[in-house]
Amino acid sequence: MKHRIYIFVVEDEPEVLDAIVRDLEEFEDSFFIEMADSAEEARELISAITDDGHEIGLILCDHVLPGENGVELLVEMQHNPSTERTRKVLITGQAGLDETVRAVNEANLSHYIAKPWEKAELVGTARKLLTDYVLEQTENPMEFMSVLDGERIADFIRKGKSITDN
Amino acid sequence: MTKTQRVGLILGVIGFIIPILLDFQGLSLAGHFAMSIFLLAAVFWMFETIPIYSTSILVIFSQILLLSTEGIIDYSGLAGYEPQSYTQFIGTLANPIIILFLGGFVLADASVKYDFDKNLTRILLAPFGNRTSTIMLGLMAVTAVLSAFMSNTATTAMMITVIIPIIAKMESGDPARIGIALCIPFAANIGGIATPIGTPPNAVVIAALNQQGLTVAFGSWMMYALPLAVIMLLVAWQVLLRLHPPATNQVSLDLDTKLQTSGHAILLYFTFGTTVLLWVTEGIHGIKSSIVALFPVVVLTLSSAFSKQDIRKLPWEVLWLIAGGIALGISMENTGLASWLVGGIAWGDLSSIMVLVVFGAVTLIMSNFLSNTVTASLLIPLALTLVTSGALEGTFGMLLVGLVIALSASFAMILPISTPPNAIAESTGVLKTKHMLLSGTIIGIIGLVLVLLLSVFYWPNII
Repeated sequence: MKHRIYIFVVEDEPEVLDAIVRDLEEFEDSFFIEMADSAEEARELISAITDDGHEIGLILCDHVLPGENGVELLVEMQHNPSTERTRKVLITGQAGLDETVRAVNEANLSHYIAKPWEKAELVGTARKLLTDYVLEQTENPMEFMSVLDGERIADFIRKGKSITDN
Repeated sequence: MTKTQRVGLILGVIGFIIPILLDFQGLSLAGHFAMSIFLLAAVFWMFETIPIYSTSILVIFSQILLLSTEGIIDYSGLAGYEPQSYTQFIGTLANPIIILFLGGFVLADASVKYDFDKNLTRILLAPFGNRTSTIMLGLMAVTAVLSAFMSNTATTAMMITVIIPIIAKMESGDPARIGIALCIPFAANIGGIATPIGTPPNAVVIAALNQQGLTVAFGSWMMYALPLAVIMLLVAWQVLLRLHPPATNQVSLDLDTKLQTSGHAILLYFTFGTTVLLWVTEGIHGIKSSIVALFPVVVLTLSSAFSKQDIRKLPWEVLWLIAGGIALGISMENTGLASWLVGGIAWGDLSSIMVLVVFGAVTLIMSNFLSNTVTASLLIPLALTLVTSGALEGTFGMLLVGLVIALSASFAMILPISTPPNAIAESTGVLKTKHMLLSGTIIGIIGLVLVLLLSVFYWPNII
């Protein structure tokens, strides 16, 4: 079965969740988008995905959730080898400085998007981080050239790191 | 393993076993083993059951086991084959052509490292102005010049980074987007024929000619192939312009690379220029191009302009691929397999031009679906034995058919799978396969016709 890369969104308010997923629709052809409305549900789904041999390339996580909060989930993911390389983004209006510092220091947070967000910022950040992920983790990043940052992927190929003449 | 690969595995093993079980009239024992290896290699290469460079090493390994003095078969007392030491087969890994390509790879990778390719592009594109049609010609010319010395794939990847911003500024319905996206891989493939190091199929052909005692100097190859490359570039440009006429007349080009002036970069520029100069003037000073190829390797590594990490990142698997092709040719020739295979057809009845047409067409068709290097590796041993059977005349005939095969292999660009540059262009999402199919077919056919015209009118006058 082909190895899939997922984008994971964790958000407890349904309208906000829908809005995020809608903003990410241009990535739907190349990436699977999965959702959860709590950290606990997210953890289960993530386990199922990684147990099947697939990868989570990017996670966009709200902080205030029922039960465990978003930063805790991200820290846990950072300590788990199968999600260590996942690019982690907080998308929230309510994380205090302490929690944000914790996310940066212990969850290797890549980006913080404040609510309400601009679609352009969300899409641009997703594109950049997914490109980072794909260049680092995949054998053949060429298939993502039309959806992600084509110039960076082409430059990667130019430096001879994936395909050559044959 | 995918289904295709599994089919290839089964067919390959069957192909290997058949000559061991059956007895073919007129073929020596060694020839049977050579056929086993040939069939195994051909199938594994075609179906990519294992990586193609791995098949190449498998070829060498099988030859050692079955055809060398250190192998498991005892040929003493058997007529028809004199087994050589295994060093003959592993020696292909250090064939002069391999060394030539190694030098080329070091120069190319160093150029990428110091952004020399990007800066050269910016400088060479400057005179081409702002009109869409002339910019397209400029892009093609620069791509071709670079891919003559660097790998077609790296050149294409770099030029794609140049055209992505151009295309982004064009209207989404503008046909010029397709034309510009296609012009890059086409120009890269065409430019690759111009020098011996332009693309790996050239290596396999030159090495096979060397096997027969024919040497081709760097400058001589350029004299044969460069005119064709220039004409084909113009042809491809016009074909693309007509198939995809630009909707806008102006295009802005914004290349913001700066020429590096560090000590290492300057050393690279000097080394690059000197090496190319020495290669092209081989006829004057007589130093073989493979020997010249070591010059950049020595200079760039001793100065640490090219580091150990850079050495590790060289495309060694391409050298293995070439070596396997060379080795296959050796055993096909000296076991008599190649002449047995072509002996079945009455080649003497065909005029020499028809022989060239057949080989050109078969090469062009096959290499659209197979790696160009593999196509050349499978066909050149067969083609060269035709010389001994009289259908082609002597060294001249050998050179002709060698050029036809090498050049036709590079003109195969109808599908994304035909060459890596095609695949990269298709990944941009700007064009559909049907666009590539149409223009690629037209250009391929024109290319084949031109190759044959050159065989009749141009090459006989300058060889």
